[in-house]
Amino acid sequence: MSSQTQERWSVEIAGMPHFDQAMDRIYAWFEGEIIDRPPVRFSAHNAFVEQQKGHLAGMNAEERKALWFDVEYQLDMFERSIEGRVWHGETFPVFSPNLGPDVYAAFYAGDLIFGEVTSWIAPALKDWDDMDALRLDMDNVYFRKIDELTMQALERCPGKYLVGYTDLHPGLDCCVGWRGPQQFCLDMYDSPENVHRLADLAISGFETVYDHYDDILKAHGQLSVNWMGIPTFGRMHVPSCDFSSLISPAMFEEFGLPILQREVKTMTHNIFHIDGKGVARHRDAILSVPEVHAIQWVQGMGHDLPIMQWVPLIKEIQARAPIIIDLNKAELDDFMEAMEPEGVFLWIATESEEEELELLDRIAKW
Amino acid sequence: MEELLDGLYTAVLNGDASGAVENVTAALNAGAAPEAILQESMIPAMMEVGRLFELGEAFVPEMLIAARAMQSGLQILRPHLIAADVEPVGKVVLGTVSGDMHDIGKNLVGMMLEGAGYATVDLGVNVSPQAFVDAVEKEGDVDLVCMSALLTTTMPQMRATIDAFKHAEIYDDVKIMVGGAPVTPEFAEAIGAHGSADDAGQAVKVAQRLTGLAA
Repeated sequence: MSSQTQERWSVEIAGMPHFDQAMDRIYAWFEGEIIDRPPVRFSAHNAFVEQQKGHLAGMNAEERKALWFDVEYQLDMFERSIEGRVWHGETFPVFSPNLGPDVYAAFYAGDLIFGEVTSWIAPALKDWDDMDALRLDMDNVYFRKIDELTMQALERCPGKYLVGYTDLHPGLDCCVGWRGPQQFCLDMYDSPENVHRLADLAISGFETVYDHYDDILKAHGQLSVNWMGIPTFGRMHVPSCDFSSLISPAMFEEFGLPILQREVKTMTHNIFHIDGKGVARHRDAILSVPEVHAIQWVQGMGHDLPIMQWVPLIKEIQARAPIIIDLNKAELDDFMEAMEPEGVFLWIATESEEEELELLDRIAKW
Repeated sequence: MEELLDGLYTAVLNGDASGAVENVTAALNAGAAPEAILQESMIPAMMEVGRLFELGEAFVPEMLIAARAMQSGLQILRPHLIAADVEPVGKVVLGTVSGDMHDIGKNLVGMMLEGAGYATVDLGVNVSPQAFVDAVEKEGDVDLVCMSALLTTTMPQMRATIDAFKHAEIYDDVKIMVGGAPVTPEFAEAIGAHGSADDAGQAVKVAQRLTGLAA
């Protein structure tokens, strides 16, 4: 379905009277067009999330897991973090049920270990002979917890925020979760046929899982949205492959690209998350997939800052697809000077509402 | 002999573990000196892998299979090196700092340093400052400590570890190298590290400089 012909509806959100205009700007951005200014998403400092990190810091592994699994606690923390906020630009309050980036792998097998800000999975597939035992289990503890987080949030969200679906990584990153990154690198040389089988297994359940959450959210009048916070009325997804930063373009084309092609095919809006220069190495392959509608570029830390060194790369991508850029507000003027605004979606961290309004004024003149 | 050493070089470079074993065995049987096998064939092969990695012409899987081939060859060669009194060029303690579970970068650095002739003591991931101190005190003759962190949230543990070295009065006894995606030379200098490296290939060069093997 063309994004222009999708059925649309409005959602009431306190502090966001311009919901419809914001959606119009997002849809124009997907088409490489601008209505009045490029879309902008602000990420504000969140004292409650810092407080949660503080709580988790003193806990042992079991206590941390209990807090990650505490539905009331998670929703209370989120709701306190958005209380009284006014949402400027294309910044939507979104609760995305979250047990970490390996939760999709854990829907099949493996135990999640919970840290302060993320979780990771203990590799579950030690022996290729055990691959046949890997099965999508929509009744396992992690799947049921994500369901519970989703349903509770849907009960509490009306008038206050959107509910998204959890972060799903069904490609090579899922395989890495099952095998561990170092072993999976060796597997690519030692046992390529098993790598293909494993990747096929990883992607096989994706549509079922995605449809499960999409059906629940749409039945409650929600949009399609996840951690990225860019809602659409269709089927929005954020494909990614952080593992690809470790491998050659030839290996990505052999093992990663076929999975990406399957991952994106039933979606109306795919925004590929390019996490750093290592993943950007594969941009030609990624952008060869027609269903990859946009790119999110995230530069790394350390030597990879500041943003201006990446302007040539950003321009190259911009010429081929809409692009999301996460930049520091101090970099904004230089960035706008160097770039044309078409196809750019800006993410900027801010400290106050006044600052957000001032930035919107500046960006409107771009 | 030159043909055997060339074959060994190629086997390590291409990650051919059985080829490395065959060529080491054949070179020993042909009377090659163990140190020559290591210095003229195996170490240059790993240095070449590191160079290709820095150039973006080899990637992590290629480094891993090369390191594995090197290890396979070393298993055959090591008893002969010991018998010939060939010492490692230095001893390195390495680990990923407290709170950080990422290990592939640290493992690659360890493999490359072994490939360059160092003896390594790998403390694993989530290593506390005190565990680094304890390891250095226990080993006794450590030349270099390598710390890895992938997260901005765990980088401060590098400073905490260096502070622990100062507190234990062993800071002046070793050189300290830090690395990981968010680590810059400025950060390294600010926390009191003696050097930093962007990747495993560069880590060998920095290690050689810090341990006096290269200018």
